Amino acid sequence: MNSERYHSFWAIRFFRWYCHPDFAEDLEGDLYERYSRNSEKSEQIARLTLIKDVIKLFRPALMRPLFNSKFQNNTSMFKNYFKSAFRSFAKNLSFTLLNVLGLSVGLATTLLILQYVKYEKSYDTFHSQIDNIYRIQYNIIQDNQLIVECAAAVPAVGPALADNFEEVEKFTRLFPRSGIISYNDPEKGLISFREEKMQITDPRVFEVFDFKLLKGNPKTSLEGLNKTVISERAAQKYFGNSDPIGKRILYNGETEYEVTGIFENVPDNSHIKFDFLFSFETLNQQSNNESETNWGWYDFNTYVLMKPGTDIEEFQGKWDNYLAEVRGEDWEHRNYKSEFILRPAKEIHLHSNLLQESEPAEQGDAEAVYFLTVIAIFILIIALINYINLSTAKSIERAKEVGVRKVMGGEKSQLIKQFLVESFLINVLAMAIALMIIAISWNAFLNLTGRDIPLDYLLSADFAGLVISLILLSSILSGAYPAWVLSSFKPVSVLKGKLLGSASGNILRKGLVIFQFSASIILIIGTLVVYNQLAFMKSQDLGIDIKSTLVLEGPAVTNDSLYGQYLETFKTKANQISGVEAVSAASNVPGDEIFWTRGIRKLVNGAVNSLTVYNMGIDHDYVPTFDLKVIAGRNFSKDFPNDNERVLLNRELAAMLDFESPEAAIGEKVILGRDTMEVAGVLENYHQMSLKNKVKPLVFRLFESRSFISLKLNEKNTDNIIAELRGPWNQIFPNNPIDYFFLDSFFNKQYESDQQFGQVFTLFSMLAIIIACLGLFGLSSYLTLKRSKEIGIRKVLGSSVNNIVYLLSKGFLSLVLVANIIAWPLAWFIMNGWLNSFPYRIDMNPLFFLAAALSVVFIALLSVGYQTVKAAITNPVQSLRNE
Amino acid sequence: MSKNHLGEFEEIVLLTVAVLADEAYGISIIDEIETRLNRSVSIGSLQTVLRRLEKKGYLESNLGEATSVRGGKRKRYFQLTTYGKKVLQETKEQRMSLWNAIPDLSIN
Repeated sequence: MNSERYHSFWAIRFFRWYCHPDFAEDLEGDLYERYSRNSEKSEQIARLTLIKDVIKLFRPALMRPLFNSKFQNNTSMFKNYFKSAFRSFAKNLSFTLLNVLGLSVGLATTLLILQYVKYEKSYDTFHSQIDNIYRIQYNIIQDNQLIVECAAAVPAVGPALADNFEEVEKFTRLFPRSGIISYNDPEKGLISFREEKMQITDPRVFEVFDFKLLKGNPKTSLEGLNKTVISERAAQKYFGNSDPIGKRILYNGETEYEVTGIFENVPDNSHIKFDFLFSFETLNQQSNNESETNWGWYDFNTYVLMKPGTDIEEFQGKWDNYLAEVRGEDWEHRNYKSEFILRPAKEIHLHSNLLQESEPAEQGDAEAVYFLTVIAIFILIIALINYINLSTAKSIERAKEVGVRKVMGGEKSQLIKQFLVESFLINVLAMAIALMIIAISWNAFLNLTGRDIPLDYLLSADFAGLVISLILLSSILSGAYPAWVLSSFKPVSVLKGKLLGSASGNILRKGLVIFQFSASIILIIGTLVVYNQLAFMKSQDLGIDIKSTLVLEGPAVTNDSLYGQYLETFKTKANQISGVEAVSAASNVPGDEIFWTRGIRKLVNGAVNSLTVYNMGIDHDYVPTFDLKVIAGRNFSKDFPNDNERVLLNRELAAMLDFESPEAAIGEKVILGRDTMEVAGVLENYHQMSLKNKVKPLVFRLFESRSFISLKLNEKNTDNIIAELRGPWNQIFPNNPIDYFFLDSFFNKQYESDQQFGQVFTLFSMLAIIIACLGLFGLSSYLTLKRSKEIGIRKVLGSSVNNIVYLLSKGFLSLVLVANIIAWPLAWFIMNGWLNSFPYRIDMNPLFFLAAALSVVFIALLSVGYQTVKAAITNPVQSLRNE
Repeated sequence: MSKNHLGEFEEIVLLTVAVLADEAYGISIIDEIETRLNRSVSIGSLQTVLRRLEKKGYLESNLGEATSVRGGKRKRYFQLTTYGKKVLQETKEQRMSLWNAIPDLSIN
């Protein structure tokens, strides 16, 4: 037996480390005896047995205390804090439950909202060079007025920046596309889908951004004509499990592309999304190199990668000067001025709201995020106030305990520690429940926010850190004041039985209740305003009939020169289906953002400035199909074969062109782009986009549009009609999938984000009110209990139940009323500001305030009422019997 | 019921200590239980029970001489206290009264 090996054996060292010094000697003796006995047989077995024994001895009863013996007294004091905390929880179970419940809801809400905020702020941060990436915003200025602010710039800007400024390292352009992609699978036959998320771009997209190419060469995959790289998702969709590299897909039935690479699906938190990337050279060929040199065609999302450390403001100045020099002549000639502003790419998601955003429906809103953060903080504060109120109210009951502790030599600091430990425990418990609430409500929360926040967020170290710091923060915030109040009781007066209802404590308690209810009232008013504004926007007459309208997405794969005939045939066939009232093809439908702009001016002698306006291509049936009102002149008509040289204006444009009245415009000539057109009619304004946008100037011309074919239906059974449409569709537009939507729901999608905002607002105001009421319920039940003797005496002396209920509720109601008075102006100020961001808005209605006030009073009465009525109908004998 | 309820293992340990008289310390108790009852006991579980019984006042202990067999560590000898003896006695009587109350029929 080797005693040196025994003493350096890890198991024995471990044993010596954990074992209580009182037991160490004889226990190690036992271990050693057994070890030496076993080692005579086999060293191996002896060591294994020793390890087993040491592990089995590792139990609390035999362990040394957690801290060095120096602090032993402190440790046991700490243990005692825990013990007395649990005892007081058990004694006041209902209060503890109220506290824990309120806090857990508050903590859960805060955590959830913070995750949402974190996700919103995470957009595009996965690009390693994001801090140096800027997107070029395109502004058009006419007559000193900013008329276009666009997310997409012109193609010539990128090269101009990169070639002339050494600060610019690289640039890349993305040109959005949508259309029909088809693949002729040798086994399964033709696979074809309509794709909305496609971009034409150059190979530098992989150098500027961190989009990952899984297959193919990032430098060369997008080089050359007719190349495409596709996402994993698209690869799976079209090619299943076979290797897509080298396969050929067809775009809109006309252009063939060779698949040269596969990229990882674009992350959900990217401001730009795509499943297909096509090589830029293809576009150059199709556009005769216009897509390299043009200064007016603004469809190109242009990103530049700047050298680290570039002063962007200074650079912008240099760049503006350069532009003025190079472009000045052209600007003067065409009477406009353009600006190309470098905007940080990381701010796009939350702060940008321009025309032609890559994902307009998904754009975040910094204001909404800010609002939510404030609400989260409010809810947490309301929950903390509950704790403070309940524990200070209960303090009188614990005064005796404090007195005795002090008499026995307890110091103030020890008492403070004791009460902080209590609040810490409550918070830990509340956090445990909060985490359960989060786990249960996670999916519902994702639905509510409309964001696909990865579950990783909840499993990250950041989240754990947040949880721990929230526990500590809220323990201190909620525990500090009660601890201070409780620990400052004077033992002599307390033990003598003098009740101390400190005036300052009462005022503070009242103040806190007022704060809670003010916050709740503001939230209720906010909810009402948001919902009413939404309802207002949805119910407003749009000036255009979008009800019972079925819209087919136009055929992309078709013969260009014959399209006009095809369209007429299809319209005739569709019109024959019973239930179809009218059919019209147009370049846009309501709710679809118009990208087609042209300059327009009156044809008069002398210089007249031209305006940039939105163009729509429509057919003869557009006006009747959508029930638009012609206020002057006439609609396009087949009786006038020259109508393709005429245009319709909307009232807004007629006014902007300085026609004295709509009638005055009829027959006048205007220059639209390069064409001279005659005004045939003026239409009443209608809302092309949601009521979140102002009515824009619109010009309509006859055009064989391929974008949308709208069918006005007069029958509810749309399934039949769609089924009947398939026949003629497949016959006239073969190889085109039939995709359709209903116009009213399409249009209302624009309100989706507001709808979500409204729902979130409602949910959180409800939570705030529930938490505040929990607090009020606890407080009232406690204060009523305190006054039970008084109530008994009053009843003996002849008070009625009503009198007593009134007496008891009065105090609480007056608090709620004060809260109303504080909340009203604040709510008016905040919500009026919010409404001001809408061009078409409701006025603040006094009813909102009244409704909020009444509902809060009602809820407060309910939570106070149970206690007060119970107290009032108690037989006075019960409360007066014992003294 | 008596307040001095003994667990099964506690009872066995107390009895073994009584059996060993002046020679009851950790390893010898384990050996004794192993030979007499054919039951293996770990040092950990025995020691916790011993400390518990000592805390309850059924056992008392004192340290013996250091020996080289034990690497220079002293043994802790355990003895029954009077109280411990009384509790053992009580337990036995309870058992016996139960045995005596069994009608002859049910066993055999």
